[in-house]
Amino acid sequence: MKPKQKSSDRASGQPPRYLTLLLNRLVAPHLREQVLGDLHERYARRLTVHGITNARRRYILEALSYIRPVFIERQKNEYQSTFNLGPAMIKNYFKIAFRNLVKNKGISAINICGLALGILCCLFIFLWVQDEKRVDSFHANGSDLFAVYETTTANGKVNGSYSASFLIAPGSSYPSFALENIHEAIPEIKYQAYYATGYELPWGHPETFQVGEKKIKLEGSRAGKDFFKIFSYKLIEGTAETALKDVGGVAISRRMAEMFFGDPAKAMGKTMRFESRMNFKVTAVFEDIPRHSSLKFDYLFNWEAQKTKLEFASNEIRSYLMLSDGADVAKVEGKINHYLAARLEKKEGVERRAGLIKFSDQYLHGTFSDGKPAGGRIEYVRIFSGVGIFILMIACINFMNLSTARSVKRAKEVGLRKVVGSSRTSLVLQFFGESLLFSFLAMLLSLAFLILLLSAFNNLTGKEIGFPATDTSFWIFLTALLLATGVAAGSYPALYLSSLKPVWILKGVARFTQSGLWFRQGLTVFQFALSIVLLIATIVISQQTRFVQQTHLGFDRENLVYVRVEGQLSAKNNYLLFKDRVSELPGVAMVDRSTEAPHDMGFSVADAIDWEGKEKNAAVYFSPASVGMDFVKLMNLKIVAGRDFSKSMATDSTDAFMVNEEAVRQMGMKNPIGKWISAWQKKGHIIGVLKDYHTQSLHEKIRPLVIDVKENEYFGVIVIRTKPGKTREALAGIGAVYKEINPDYPFSYQFLDQEFDKLYRSEQVIAKLSNLLAPLAILISSLGLLGLALFSAEQRIKEIGIRKVLGASIAGVVALLSRDFLKLVVIAICIASPVGWYVMNKWLEGFAYKIHIEWWVFALAAILVMSIAVFTVSFQSIKAALMNPVRSLRSE
Amino acid sequence: MRRSDLGEFEEIVLLAVAALSSNAYTITIAEELERETGNIVTSGAVHAATQRLEQKGYLRSVWGEATSERGGRRKRLYSVTALGGRVLEESRAVRNRFWDRILPAIRMEWN
Repeated sequence: MKPKQKSSDRASGQPPRYLTLLLNRLVAPHLREQVLGDLHERYARRLTVHGITNARRRYILEALSYIRPVFIERQKNEYQSTFNLGPAMIKNYFKIAFRNLVKNKGISAINICGLALGILCCLFIFLWVQDEKRVDSFHANGSDLFAVYETTTANGKVNGSYSASFLIAPGSSYPSFALENIHEAIPEIKYQAYYATGYELPWGHPETFQVGEKKIKLEGSRAGKDFFKIFSYKLIEGTAETALKDVGGVAISRRMAEMFFGDPAKAMGKTMRFESRMNFKVTAVFEDIPRHSSLKFDYLFNWEAQKTKLEFASNEIRSYLMLSDGADVAKVEGKINHYLAARLEKKEGVERRAGLIKFSDQYLHGTFSDGKPAGGRIEYVRIFSGVGIFILMIACINFMNLSTARSVKRAKEVGLRKVVGSSRTSLVLQFFGESLLFSFLAMLLSLAFLILLLSAFNNLTGKEIGFPATDTSFWIFLTALLLATGVAAGSYPALYLSSLKPVWILKGVARFTQSGLWFRQGLTVFQFALSIVLLIATIVISQQTRFVQQTHLGFDRENLVYVRVEGQLSAKNNYLLFKDRVSELPGVAMVDRSTEAPHDMGFSVADAIDWEGKEKNAAVYFSPASVGMDFVKLMNLKIVAGRDFSKSMATDSTDAFMVNEEAVRQMGMKNPIGKWISAWQKKGHIIGVLKDYHTQSLHEKIRPLVIDVKENEYFGVIVIRTKPGKTREALAGIGAVYKEINPDYPFSYQFLDQEFDKLYRSEQVIAKLSNLLAPLAILISSLGLLGLALFSAEQRIKEIGIRKVLGASIAGVVALLSRDFLKLVVIAICIASPVGWYVMNKWLEGFAYKIHIEWWVFALAAILVMSIAVFTVSFQSIKAALMNPVRSLRSE
Repeated sequence: MRRSDLGEFEEIVLLAVAALSSNAYTITIAEELERETGNIVTSGAVHAATQRLEQKGYLRSVWGEATSERGGRRKRLYSVTALGGRVLEESRAVRNRFWDRILPAIRMEWN
């Protein structure tokens, strides 16, 4: 007890208050008066005789003497309350609930639909989140599987990546990798496997297989020999031990086996021709990769084959570990770094470290911050979980508002029930039961819609979620949702209505307290604030999406098609033949080549580029590309200084480089024309400077670019510009030429603008979802406002009548009724605008090139919400204002 | 009549109520007992006893007046019922009969 309180008790001559309070709770009500009176009197008497200290001490003893069962036991009620859960009463509860439902068809429909919408949203989001979380969770050794990531610190800049090859001596003809035999050096590591695909994960680019006459392009990867021991991909034929052991072996999927051999069993030991260059023998057939795997492949080559026989696809080499049970991850991390330190080549100012992340976490944590996996899809999971809960909350709030609105009428029922002998408990149960019934109906409705809309939802999100009828977690979630919404939505009416005094209600003076009104107004403000934030998000996202699609990239992206350089096309002669033949086609404007698709140049390198006046240790990351003579013209790039590559200059194919403005800036060159520059072994001079153009998605800043002419590279893409409107016939022609020159490969091509749009796939999903959610939130909030307006009109019906009798105009009454609600919306706007601004600014930080959020976005959102609110409220208030006052005033 | 249902403390409380006549309530009873026996008697103990006695029908009670030192709470005044009186009488008679039979010589030994 606080001494301050003690002294105040002492000063006033009162016994210790806490004991009094305690006894007041403890002692049965019918004894309280006597007991406390006795205690106080005795204390007062002792005070005069023994002094305060003694009196207080004795008081405590006295008080304790009352703590015994005789005083605590409550008096039994003389009157037995009626049994409220008998079958007749339950039948009555249902009947009344049903009558209420039917009596107010409009409101009931609004109520149930609102709740159903909320639940539907919640269910969809739940399914989506579940599906996201399920990715990579099917591996049997899940808790022991780890992905290695690399943290590179170079010149104070920290970068993180899952590409953790830890290549030793890059550039040598026989590459070796530092982590390869790490499981022999560190006992906690049971297995290690590298894994590499082509340029982009998860699939890479397709490669061609041939058996007999059958040629099919499929996508797959290369993996270390213990790959199948680490991961639980099921093998139909072959064993985990031998599947990837052999340099000349390939493990293929059931799908692939069926394509080529008709049956997995027949595939074993058969020979397949790869890219018309090499033969591989099938050493294993695995079950098709499950949908929830972040690694996707139709075939796997052995890691030795990758190192010795196959071309090096990219630097995107991942490394996976399986640790022994209960290994200390931090300790293993330390050991790995110790191991690496002894093997990696040391460079000044550059530090490379390895980190471990749970394999099942890497899919959701795709982006790095400060060199460690941080954000990624997990952010969307969090955002959508939040939005789901919020929308459900909004729907529940509505339910509360609407039920409270109607409760004015229900109050009489409550009064009567109480008079006839209903206890408070049974009333609370009745109302909770009713709201549970409502939410059950809403849930049925939302389940029906769920089944109906599931395929559309899958389309939207690019998932393949089926109705999870057999998934217990879904049903548990559903039941929890039902109980939560039922209880949350019914709590206010149940607890408030049942507390009303029957005398007041039946007399007609039951009024709703100010605090209750505040509470519901607060809820409405909250609802609207949320809707406005969502609306702002929708506007900003769609603006940014449009900005991304309409920004001039610095090159003309229309009518561009590209084809991979492979097979026969890898030879210079064949390429030139192809180029000449295609250029002559009527629908084709121009043909040229590049080592990377020009819209998505992911490759970057710092060491290999040198230039005149380069400072030691300068680390400028370039995007290097080798192109053909006509590339600049083909892409329609602008030249700001110097000249384009030209066939008429003999030296251009060996000596000429072009850079972009960003490169000039970062190299710190003045007058770059004529200065020397080198890329790997090739040294030459800068002949021209290109105006900056986007070589990657707008998430990334434009990087320094250096291009030279190399028509004899064996890889890359052939870029073809077709004439507007003639794309189809051009493609037919190109296909025919392709078949002739490169007969071992099926003809496949990509449209550059489509591929460019694919870089924003996740933004598009977000845009679509927010487009969907924002109107939904506004709709549900408006329903809530409607409820509040209904309630208020109901409450003020007499006031309106009197006002009209005294000569108020309809407009005046409408204004009177609407003002209060619009005030709420204004408050919501004030709260939501800064929140929306903050949230969207955070989102836009993911883009290097982005729009500015302008004031009119908020104005637009505000006006939109305001007008919807005005419409909703005036609908109700006009109805109230038009009512004949005689009808509202005739009673009483 | 069952004699055994009157405990020693109950009996003495019943006696005190009778002795205090019109002013018998928990506090006065407790104070009276303290003075007479020299032991500490809590009002809780007295209250519990009176409750039992009331249940047995030896006491009856009515609400008395409220005083400021009680914090405006009423007191409960007790009086002995006819049944209670008879029980007391009987108990006293039993004791008296035994006292009368004790030889003076033995009482001399005690002192």
